[in-house]
Amino acid sequence: MPDHQDPFRESRSQSGVQIVHCDGEDIPLVLRLQDVRKAANDWKTFSSDHPFKVILHSEENVRSVRQLPIEIDPPEHTDYRKLVEPLFRKPNEVWYQQKIVTLVNQMVMDAIDSDTIEAVHEFALPLQSRALTHLLGMPESEAKTWIGWGLHVFHHSDNSEQKGAALDKYVEMQFARAANEPGDDFFSILNQADFRGRKLSAEEKAGFASVTFAGGRDTIISTVSSILVYLGEHPEALDFLRADETCISTATEEFVRYVSPLTAIARTCPMATMVAETPIEAGTRIALCWPSANRDEKAFRDPDQVVLNRKPNPHVGFGFGPHNCLGAPHARLIIRSLLKSLCDHVQGIQLLMAKPLMETESSYTRQVGYESVQIRFIGK
Amino acid sequence: MPKVFYILPSGETVVVERADGSLMSAAVDLGLAGIDGDCGGVGSCGTCHVSIEPEWADRVGPATEIEKDMLDLDAAATPTSRLGCQVELVPELDGLVVRVIGR
Repeated sequence: MPDHQDPFRESRSQSGVQIVHCDGEDIPLVLRLQDVRKAANDWKTFSSDHPFKVILHSEENVRSVRQLPIEIDPPEHTDYRKLVEPLFRKPNEVWYQQKIVTLVNQMVMDAIDSDTIEAVHEFALPLQSRALTHLLGMPESEAKTWIGWGLHVFHHSDNSEQKGAALDKYVEMQFARAANEPGDDFFSILNQADFRGRKLSAEEKAGFASVTFAGGRDTIISTVSSILVYLGEHPEALDFLRADETCISTATEEFVRYVSPLTAIARTCPMATMVAETPIEAGTRIALCWPSANRDEKAFRDPDQVVLNRKPNPHVGFGFGPHNCLGAPHARLIIRSLLKSLCDHVQGIQLLMAKPLMETESSYTRQVGYESVQIRFIGK
Repeated sequence: MPKVFYILPSGETVVVERADGSLMSAAVDLGLAGIDGDCGGVGSCGTCHVSIEPEWADRVGPATEIEKDMLDLDAAATPTSRLGCQVELVPELDGLVVRVIGR
């Protein structure tokens, strides 16, 4: 993965912040690991109570509801999150792990049987969507619809508003379906949930669904694609993992650290404060820059190297503090299952073509994943 | 392999007779409440926070800098807090007593 360069090194060592000009706003990116952790943890000073504004560019035009539980602060956040936490922690249970292992093995075997595949759209995206059906307790056939939404459910160069509306319509239909035929799926759980002695409103339920479908999508797809490219470029890596499978877990964390597919999450400062040595005015936003924190030389030796057995590895690839990634157990399970399956069934990965997916803002360009990847899985 | 006493957030004490690996992995193997070990033991997730009973603190040793950076931000941390994944269960720790902080 030589393409995953760190564009924040200089600013991180100098001021610890880097300004991004975004839709008429100057937003300081917080770059150092401990500064990012402190801000992520301090929700009173760095608030998430700002709908549509938790990412750099406002999502006002592509969705109409406050995403829950990500766009609200404790104590409401804590109570909202408790409603879905058991569902999102299913991946820590053995019966669930077996389901994902079976799915991944099937997809890897199918890929071996194909000649070449375009790994972003024909492997990573279907893997993410099919795995999500299991997490949400939906029939796997539903993945066909979700795959059709593409790499990101909101953002597209031409039709973001249209895509957002398609998701809204789908979610509304599923909540209605679940009201008529209640089960143990995500939509039924939210229909039946008790929030502080009352049922959730349609808007609140749509807010949970919005982040569930958007949040762990391009991030997982980018990480999986990047792992496949890395393994294609480093044939010795699979042998290393095969020789000591305890490293599958450390390698999973290392790929999340190294790829860090989500560049930043924004917070709004209700009162004037400081980040690093930079004053922040009341009412303005800052953003927590996960990939920069994950390359902080003070915490990670050889931060630009992929070290498959890196331990300790105190990365913040899944965020930090009360808003840490709800989908992290699922993402970890998918990546661990993929690495194990590749160790078991694949002799090597032949990389034929990889086109990086770049993200450009006013003060940086960075690779977040791949637009397309042509590979061949060589079976054992 | 040492015997370890885990005092769970509920107040219940669970005795692990032959605890193996780390304070985190030995607890996860038994599904003890309050220790999740999501990141597998690399010190990223903080879901294995324990407080060492004071009489054992010297033998277990202090938190590393990496642990301190995380634990300093946890309101539930105590002077003897550790991340369980960073405490290897060596024979000298036979009889160790820890409190599980939980999430």
